[in-house]
Amino acid sequence: MNWLQKSTVYALLLFLATIYSLPLLVMLSGSLKSPAEIQASPNQLIPDGWHWENYAEAITAMPFWRYLSNTLVLCVGSVLGTVISCSMAAYAFARLKWWGRDWLFAVLIGTMLLPWHVTMIPRFLLLREVGLYNTLGALILPTFLGDAFSIFLLRQFFRTIPEEVSEAARIDGLSEWGIYWRIIMPMSVPALITVGLFQFVAAWNDFSGPLLFLSNQDKFPLAYGLEQFVSSYSDQTHLLLAAATLFTLPIVLLFFFAQKTFLKGIATTGLKD
Amino acid sequence: MVGLLALFVYPFLVSLYWSFCEYDLINPPRVVGLANYQQLASEFASGTGIAKALWNTGYYALISVPLSIVLGVSLASLLSCDIRGQSIFRTLFYLPSVIPVVAASILWMWLLNPTDGLVNSILGSLGLWKPQWFASPNELVSANAFASSAWANNATPIGSKDALILMSLWGMGNFMVIYLAAIGDIPKSLYEAARIDGAGPLRRFWNVTLPLLTPVIFFNLVMGLIQSVQAFTQIYIVSEGRGAPADSTLMLSLQLFLSAFQHLDMGYASAVAWLLFAILGVSTWLLFRTSRRWVYEGVR
Repeated sequence: MNWLQKSTVYALLLFLATIYSLPLLVMLSGSLKSPAEIQASPNQLIPDGWHWENYAEAITAMPFWRYLSNTLVLCVGSVLGTVISCSMAAYAFARLKWWGRDWLFAVLIGTMLLPWHVTMIPRFLLLREVGLYNTLGALILPTFLGDAFSIFLLRQFFRTIPEEVSEAARIDGLSEWGIYWRIIMPMSVPALITVGLFQFVAAWNDFSGPLLFLSNQDKFPLAYGLEQFVSSYSDQTHLLLAAATLFTLPIVLLFFFAQKTFLKGIATTGLKD
Repeated sequence: MVGLLALFVYPFLVSLYWSFCEYDLINPPRVVGLANYQQLASEFASGTGIAKALWNTGYYALISVPLSIVLGVSLASLLSCDIRGQSIFRTLFYLPSVIPVVAASILWMWLLNPTDGLVNSILGSLGLWKPQWFASPNELVSANAFASSAWANNATPIGSKDALILMSLWGMGNFMVIYLAAIGDIPKSLYEAARIDGAGPLRRFWNVTLPLLTPVIFFNLVMGLIQSVQAFTQIYIVSEGRGAPADSTLMLSLQLFLSAFQHLDMGYASAVAWLLFAILGVSTWLLFRTSRRWVYEGVR
């Protein structure tokens, strides 16, 4: 490329990157402004004073710690559920031979295309029937039953481990269970981290699950509690932005620490099979 | 496997059955034949309820998905030019897509506030129109938008669904990352060959990058369609959970939720779910059928 083309590309990218990052920057700056300043026009990016007390106020204005601990229970529970159940299912699909395996795998992949709306109502009634309505269990239990995307991702990874590894273990007298737990799982830590990370973010962000299943405020996770907060504090923008920033920050930090895992996971979902 | 049966196959079949029933959660389901589907048909004929939901869903999906593909492919190809700071730019474009939808919705409702939102203050200081965004049921892509009266007296035909589309474009970074990875997989020798043949950058994009990206574009088209038709959280939040204003954000997913959990009409809701499933099924099938004409499948 000559310098003219190159500078056009830079100019375009800078312009677009500014547009893309501006919303997050003003969220951050707005969360530190006083209520009067947030209304002021023209807006300025750097607040006049740094009102950190907005954060303290947002935390006390809602049962923040309650929400946060519910969210963490959800995240930890569903990551455990997904990693355990999906790795077992993926092991069965990738490393064992049984009648109807490939057919059932096709059905499993088919469920990925099934809109969640179709199964939403029966799933709701089913979980209510077993007494899980208004408990966090209603949101955690389903992850122990596996989900198609994670099984798919893990299966792809398990298939790359040479069959000789299993055979050697078998000759040494290890049971099938032992091969899964002592050989395959330790070798698959990167893939398990990817799956766990995606599930963690999904559980952190999930809104429709709590909306459907939870009715008591002391059971709400942050995502849903935040929406309740919005309805009652809609005129206190500075508090809303502080709360939204608090809710977003852990996910952004997680993304920065695990950027490679995130990007690789996303790229592999679409490309290689 | 029990899980697969319990959470997919059983609900799948039972919801089909319920769509032929009247069921309010309190009394056991009662078979009413096609009544729920007849209700859908009559709403469709009279332009209320489901007809609005279908229109809104279609408007949102058919505009946001193609736009996000164009934007995603353009950004990815700009990023894969030989430039410094590629990873910084990539992070900046990708970051919005990891922002939780709940937080992003709160943020955008404030940014797009008609009176003192940031977007309108910028537009105002440039002397441009100030759209009503989430406060208006207008549609930018409509015959009305061509009428000069639609733009007179500081009015615009821009409304709530256009604002949702804008939001979806802000969060398209995860698709861009897929394009970027796919462009990285294109053999450098092809670009060399094109360069020797005298092709400029635009020509190389059009004749090398784009054709080789078609499989990924196709994948993202299908996934994007499914995702946008199922979008729920941001719609629920910006519309106060009821499709406001004037039912302009009442989409299929919201209609289904409201009829099931507010009107306790599980039969009708199941029928809506099946309609949604049928629409997605048929459009995915159609996309696969036409894909042979434009998706590059490699040299056989």
